[in-house]
This record gives sequence, structure tokens and C-alpha cells, in this order.
Amino acid sequence: MNSVNQPVMAQPHTIRGKASTSLWGRAFDQFRRDRAAMIGCWVVLGFFLIALGVWFGWWGTGWSQATGGRWEGPSMNHWLGTNLLGQDIFQRAIYSTRTAFEIGLIVAVLSTFLGGLFGALSGYFSNTFIDGMILWLKGTLDSIPFYLFVAAVAVALSGNPWAMHIAMVATFWTTTARLVRGEVIKLKNFEFIEAARAIGLGRLTTIFRHLLPNTFHILLVQGTIVFVSAIKAEVILSFLGLGVQDGVSWGLMIAESTQEVLAGEYMNFIVASSFMFVLVMAFNLFSDGLQDALDPRRTPR
Amino acid sequence: MELLSYALRKLIGGIPLILGVTLISFVLMVYFGPDKTFELLSKNPTEAEIAQVRAQLGYDRPFIVRYADYLREMATHDFGFSDSTGERVHSILLRTIPVSLALLAPGFILGNLLGIVLGLIAAWYRGGWVDRLIMAGAVVGMSISFLVVIVAFQALFGVVLGWFPVRGWAVHDLSSYIHYVTVPTLASVFVALGYNTRFFRAVLVEEINRDHVRTARAFGAKPTEILYRNVLMNAMIPIVTRILFSIPLIVVSGSLLIESYFGIPGIGKVTFDAITSGDQPVLKAVVSLTAVMFVLILIATDILYRAVDPRVSLSGNANA
Repeated sequence: MNSVNQPVMAQPHTIRGKASTSLWGRAFDQFRRDRAAMIGCWVVLGFFLIALGVWFGWWGTGWSQATGGRWEGPSMNHWLGTNLLGQDIFQRAIYSTRTAFEIGLIVAVLSTFLGGLFGALSGYFSNTFIDGMILWLKGTLDSIPFYLFVAAVAVALSGNPWAMHIAMVATFWTTTARLVRGEVIKLKNFEFIEAARAIGLGRLTTIFRHLLPNTFHILLVQGTIVFVSAIKAEVILSFLGLGVQDGVSWGLMIAESTQEVLAGEYMNFIVASSFMFVLVMAFNLFSDGLQDALDPRRTPR
Repeated sequence: MELLSYALRKLIGGIPLILGVTLISFVLMVYFGPDKTFELLSKNPTEAEIAQVRAQLGYDRPFIVRYADYLREMATHDFGFSDSTGERVHSILLRTIPVSLALLAPGFILGNLLGIVLGLIAAWYRGGWVDRLIMAGAVVGMSISFLVVIVAFQALFGVVLGWFPVRGWAVHDLSSYIHYVTVPTLASVFVALGYNTRFFRAVLVEEINRDHVRTARAFGAKPTEILYRNVLMNAMIPIVTRILFSIPLIVVSGSLLIESYFGIPGIGKVTFDAITSGDQPVLKAVVSLTAVMFVLILIATDILYRAVDPRVSLSGNANA
């Protein structure tokens, strides 16, 4: 969880008898000792396996057939009962895990890439025209309320199934870019960058070979944060009719359950929100552990 | 005088931002937005009729002319009439914005106040079990979707307990206001509290570890006095920034979900309907309003920095 929650470390902890001294080695050691983060990590891996299984067609294949009656209770055939249309809730929740990972991974990878690229460029060329343009773009995107922006993108792309992903990537990269920009501005005054300039390395080589790799810890942490934000945003967008177009997702399940809840049928709602809650919670713990391990400012006081 | 010239300079500096927001909103919502040609035509229109309607809607003019027109209408506040209902855009805004503000204000204020109080408590007992309990609660709160909270609270208070109405906004006096505002307020406080507490705690812990706080403790000052005078007041700049910057997003985005779920006629719902139906006059008004609000808040934060911290100079580039 948070830095101060951990016991104050007296000695650098050792695994396999050898003390790590590098940033990543120390971070790995600290992460290994962070119980909440490790539990989060394992739960996320478990969900990832579920998603992989759906991807390969091992399970969750019967999510769209109506195999039972309306609102059946849990039974051997339908482990968690059926919904309004007689579809198996468990199968749908399992299949939605894949949807969630697809959305989370696509949005996290692309917006981290964009954030790293623009952040590094605007940091290296700070206070120039390039920096000004990128900052202007960031400010502009940040001033448009998120859900309106997504709605506008969805309408402009008229029902394109990728509208949601595009809109999320377009808005989520700004935070990463701001953090990377700050780090690059700090790093570019270091001696190794001066050395790179002295031996005549090109600007782009310096940025992409020497500056950007040193912001990798920021990119990693931001990637996990964006992943969680994307899964949470999907639920709300699907409820508004702007999210997943074909297939099923936890957001769509919760959206369809809003009518069932008023009729006193809670199974669909509870299952979808619990699956989502467990994954998001685990990812939050994982992400917090990463931050504690990688951010030098968050070392135990 | 210094303040005025500063505000004016900032206002001029905000022009590129306003241009950017309007350009993006124009491209997305108007240029590539819904095509209203066929809504205005009878069945089986001729080529000439189509061309005439397109000319009437301005679709045949070049991009730059249409954008200039869009800007001119924004600058003169001449938003005209809604395409869908025919109501004056001005009166739509006057009708819906107060509803959204009344709906969101209690949750916004309570969410931030409770967040600061919990953040102070957690920061004071940092590392102890109180801190851990509060921060664990914050992570749990952060992991629950807004939609889940709304559905669950509505089911609990509206259906199971039956204390509060499930939908609508029939507000005419204080008691009916409390009747309708309670469940949305509880939901928005619940959702915001996790994020707020974590942010405020991080800021406050930074401040509480400083030497002057230790000195104050050594001199035997009371904990509440230290927390208020030495910690909270010194951490005011990030706190004020966060609260102010969340206002525009809360007003439009935050209200959208609550309003569409509870069927409350506020600005979020109106805007959402306008986007999906391509009601351009309403969109123009909302977009220009949010953009201007953002620039005003940018200026307000800088001026407030000065108010809470006398060392901040307005003539220099304080927010570089």
C-alpha cells in the first residue's frame, strides 16, 4: 500500500544471499516483500489466465446462447444463475474478463507510448515551439470533459467499435506525458547526456536511446494506472451506450442489470461488479506496490 | 492594479486554449458530427432539394468559413435555438445549470471536506493502524465503479428501504430538495472520497514531516492547532489547485452519469443528448462555457496562490 505502511527497512533486504544495488534490483526486492502488492500481482495473473483461456476458446464459449429460463437461480448447469434472457451469468462474466483485458491492454500500451513519445520530445525541447505545441495540445485535451469527448468521438466515428479506445488513448496520454516531461527536463542536465552530446550523438538518438529508457519506471507505473482507468471508464461508457459494441463486458452486464435490480434480481449485478471489483482492486494494489518500489520519493520515512 | 493587469495578461494567454478547445469540439461535434440533412427532408427528395437543405445548413461551405462562423457565434453568445426542441439555448442553460449545481454542490463540498479530514487523521497517525485502516478503505473505495455505487445505493435506499425516490427531480422546497438530493450526494461522496483522501494525505504527510511542525510539537502546541495552522494552511496550494480544477469536469462529466441514471434534467443530460442527436447550438454553448470556465479557473488559481502564499509573485512567471 503506501510507503509509510511498510516496516522501516534497516538493512537492504537480500534474496538468494545477494544484495541488489541497482534501481530495478532494489525495486524488485522491495516489491517481493510488499504483501499486498504480491497478492494483487497474483490475482491479476489469475485473471489474465482466465482471459487467455477465453481467447483460446477453452471456456466462456456459451456466453451468448440463451440456455436456461429467465432469472434461474444458481445450479449445476448455471453456476451463478441466468439473466433476464436466460443467458448463463458465469459464462458471461468469464468472457467479459477477456473484454476487460483487451480494452485495458490496448489503451494502456498506446497511451503510454504516446505519453512517452510526446513527453520526451517536449521535455528535451522544453521552452521551444515543439514543447509549446505539445503543451497546448495537452491543455486543450484536458479542458474537454472526458465523457463528452468520448461521446463526441463515438458520434463522429459513427458507431466504429474502436471509438471508445481512440477517445481513451487521446485523453489518457496527457498525464504520462506531463510526468515524463518533468523527468526528462531533470535528466537532460545530467553528465551522461552532456557526454552524449560531446561525442556527437544526434538529438533523436539521445532522446530515444538515453533519455526515454531512464523514464521507464514512470511509464510502467502510469501504464498500470491507465489500465485501471480504462476498465473503469468502459463500465460507464457501456452504460451510456458508447462502449463495447459487440460481445459482452462487465459494463454491459451492469447496464442490463439496472433493470433487473429494480425487479429484485441481483445476481447479474453482483457477479459483474464483484468480478470487476476484484480485478480493479488487485490492480490498484499491484500499481501501488510498483510505485512504492520504483519512486525514490516514496521510500519509507 | 497589479492584480488587474495580471488577470488581463492571463486572459490573453488563455486565448490559445480556448481556440484549441473550440477547434477540437468543432471538428468532432460539427464537422464530423451527425448529418442533419435527411431529417429536414421529405421522403424521396430530389437532388436539388438535398443541395438546398445542405446549403441552408451550411454544409457546402469550406471548413475555415464554418469554423469562423462557429467562433463568431460563440464570441457574440448568439447561440440561437435548440435544433431538437426549438427552445432558446439561453433558457435551456438557465433552466438546467442551476439544477446540476444544486445536485452536485453538496456531494462536491462534503467529498472534499471529508477527504481533507480523513487525510489529516491518516497523516497524523501515519504508519499506525488508523492510517492503514483509512488508506485500505480508500483503495477499496477507488476500486468500486461509480455505476456500481449508483445502482447499489439506488437499490438500497430506493427499493429495499424505500426511504428516497428512485428517479426524478420534483424539487420545490427544502424538504423535497433533501429528499431528492440525498442518494446522488451519498453516491458521489462515496466515489470521490477514496481518491480525495489519498491525494490529501500524500500532500499533508509531506508537510507534516517538516521541521517547523516538529518544533511546534516540541513547544507543546495542541494537535488540532498544529494540524490546522502548521499543516493544513501550508499545504493549501496543491489542495486549492486540485479542488478548483475538478470543478469543470465535475459539473459536466460527473453530472452526466447521475443525471442520466436518476432522470434529472441537468446540464450533463442535456449535453449528452445534444451530442448524440447533433444539436449544434446547444453543443456550442456548453463547449464555450466549459472552455471559458477552465481559463477563468486557471486565472483564479494563480490569484489564490497569491492569497494563500504571500511569497508567490504575480509579476514573475509563477506557474512556469
